[in-house]
Amino acid sequence: MSKTTIIDAKHRQLFPNFSEIRRFKDLFLTLAWRDFRVRYAQTTIGFLWAFIQPIVTLVILTLVFGRFAKVDTGSIPHALFTTCGLITWTYFAFVMTHSGKSIIESQGMIKKIYFPRLIIPLSKAVVGLIDVSVTVLILIVLMFYYGITPEATAWLAPIFLIIGMIAALGVGIWLSALTIRFRDFQHIIPLMVQLGMFITPVAYPAGTAVKELPQWAESLYYLNPMAGVVQGFRWSLFGGDPPGNMMYISFAMIIVIFVTSLMYFKRVEDEIADFV
Amino acid sequence: MESTTAIKVSGLGKKYTIGKQKDASLRSTLTNVFKSAAAKGDDFWAVQNVDFEIKRGDVVGIIGKNGAGKSTLLKLLSQITKPTTGRIEINGRVASLLEVGTGFHPELTGRENIYLNGTILGMSRKEVKEKFNDIVEFSGVAKFIDTPVKHYSSGMYVRLAFSVAAHLEPEILIIDEVLAVGDAEFQKKCIGKMSDVAAEGRTVIFVSHNIAAIKELCTKGIVMNKGEILFSGNQLEAIEFYHELGRNVNSDEIVLANDKIEILSFNVNPVEGSFISISSGFSFELEFRHLLENKNLAVTFELSSKDEIVLFHHGEWICNEKDSQKGIYKMRGEVPKNILNAGHYFFKIIIASSLHEVLLTIDSIGRFEVTNEALAGNNTILPGLIRPNLKYEFNFTKE
Repeated sequence: MSKTTIIDAKHRQLFPNFSEIRRFKDLFLTLAWRDFRVRYAQTTIGFLWAFIQPIVTLVILTLVFGRFAKVDTGSIPHALFTTCGLITWTYFAFVMTHSGKSIIESQGMIKKIYFPRLIIPLSKAVVGLIDVSVTVLILIVLMFYYGITPEATAWLAPIFLIIGMIAALGVGIWLSALTIRFRDFQHIIPLMVQLGMFITPVAYPAGTAVKELPQWAESLYYLNPMAGVVQGFRWSLFGGDPPGNMMYISFAMIIVIFVTSLMYFKRVEDEIADFV
Repeated sequence: MESTTAIKVSGLGKKYTIGKQKDASLRSTLTNVFKSAAAKGDDFWAVQNVDFEIKRGDVVGIIGKNGAGKSTLLKLLSQITKPTTGRIEINGRVASLLEVGTGFHPELTGRENIYLNGTILGMSRKEVKEKFNDIVEFSGVAKFIDTPVKHYSSGMYVRLAFSVAAHLEPEILIIDEVLAVGDAEFQKKCIGKMSDVAAEGRTVIFVSHNIAAIKELCTKGIVMNKGEILFSGNQLEAIEFYHELGRNVNSDEIVLANDKIEILSFNVNPVEGSFISISSGFSFELEFRHLLENKNLAVTFELSSKDEIVLFHHGEWICNEKDSQKGIYKMRGEVPKNILNAGHYFFKIIIASSLHEVLLTIDSIGRFEVTNEALAGNNTILPGLIRPNLKYEFNFTKE
């Protein structure tokens, strides 16, 4: 017989079974594709929304931070500076929001069929990449407009993006698992997204914020996993504030969050169908 | 060494902690059991001490009343939830169908949903592609394959959903009650498909209230009650055991008494045939000891569906003050055939001496099931609490 499955009440694993997740690759892709297909269904302007959302955010942030508060972004125009920050931040916010509620939204499926549950929050991370590409497109247009070319360190940008994805997944997986037991997180997540935007150097340089803070608060600032990612991604493209040692606090946080998220998810996975 | 065992289960148990579940639908499915379990404590074992072995090629029907643990057992076998105790060993690729159309999205077209549902059921995209034409043809909705399924009629929806499921090629197939959907003709098609699967030598595990389907399809039967397996063996013997269980369970469970009245037994039995069905009719028989003298005595029976909708409330004076005596009273009532629809019902019994003086009330006794299997005529599942055989008159005026 080709395949033997053993289900044992006493047997508990620490991490999700990754080879099994690979076997469900097609389901993973289909779910991501479904989310994309359904996202703009029945809207009049359809995919255009994917552009309108980041553009509106960008205009408002540039007005408030660039025009009104006159935040100094050095040699880079504020609009470009902010777009750059939005790429990683918007992705993070998207994955956090959608992974967070993903398990609850799929409860109909979860109660009726088995598949590795981790696929659900993971598939949201793929859907979020569409928004990343749209914002990157806007960035390229702005670069032409301002006549600015990226620095030689630009090859590091994808690496920062990948670190950002891991951060988003870590937080997303944590939230998806927590929301099952504590529905309160459905209300906490929008707050996290709203506040996160301000404690992350999206529309202002991290230096500006840190300058005003005492030494101990600086490391606190970088406990925000996205602080290092947003700053590093922008530095790799356009220079400016080089990422300091503090950035490694962010990266260490990301690793801790990601690894623990997998462990916590595994712990609740077996009981998900009983809870949702 | 090639093993002939498809599934081996030992010491299997699943415990739910009452009050922990937040979901209303789960709660409601367990409600019936909650009532009796709540008194015992906070833990409720939906499945307990279950051991069995299924050989490759067996077609096994699992029968039992609502709340017997059948669905929980299927959920454990299909890995949807993890057992609290015990171990399951499964040899072969499993597909479980606990509902048809899992994951169907109303905004997507029939074509897209076939891919979606197919991969959810464990097929690869490539497999779905290969079987796509067969699936569409089997479903009979080819014309609307590129229409979003939200525009489908419920019949079309179910047909498409079942077609996807029917084209799975697992070594072990786990099915829950999915045949209870669609019209009679489509059900026939489904049963046909299932016998094909069984004929190919695959292992099938099948939970159903449709005794006729179990009789026809299965080679083995398992009877569950209160989370435990009471019988396992030949399917005909299992069905016989199940009906026997339904007859006896009434009087064994409840012994109720106070200082006025003592209930000795209450039984619900079919009038014709060996089990209660739509066309069997049924009788109910109450035996009680009257402990007082010189009291009026009236007994009222109230029949309700399992959702607590009262179907009738009917009583009778047994005796008045003068001739009331201590002793054992027996009374029997009969409900003719073709009145109740298939479903689960229970009685409430009120014994009183006047409108203002109740001697004893029993809120729930004699739970029984009217099965859908008709002694004669059609056995399609129809909505409604009652199912009378009405006579019609026709009139036609040509215009």
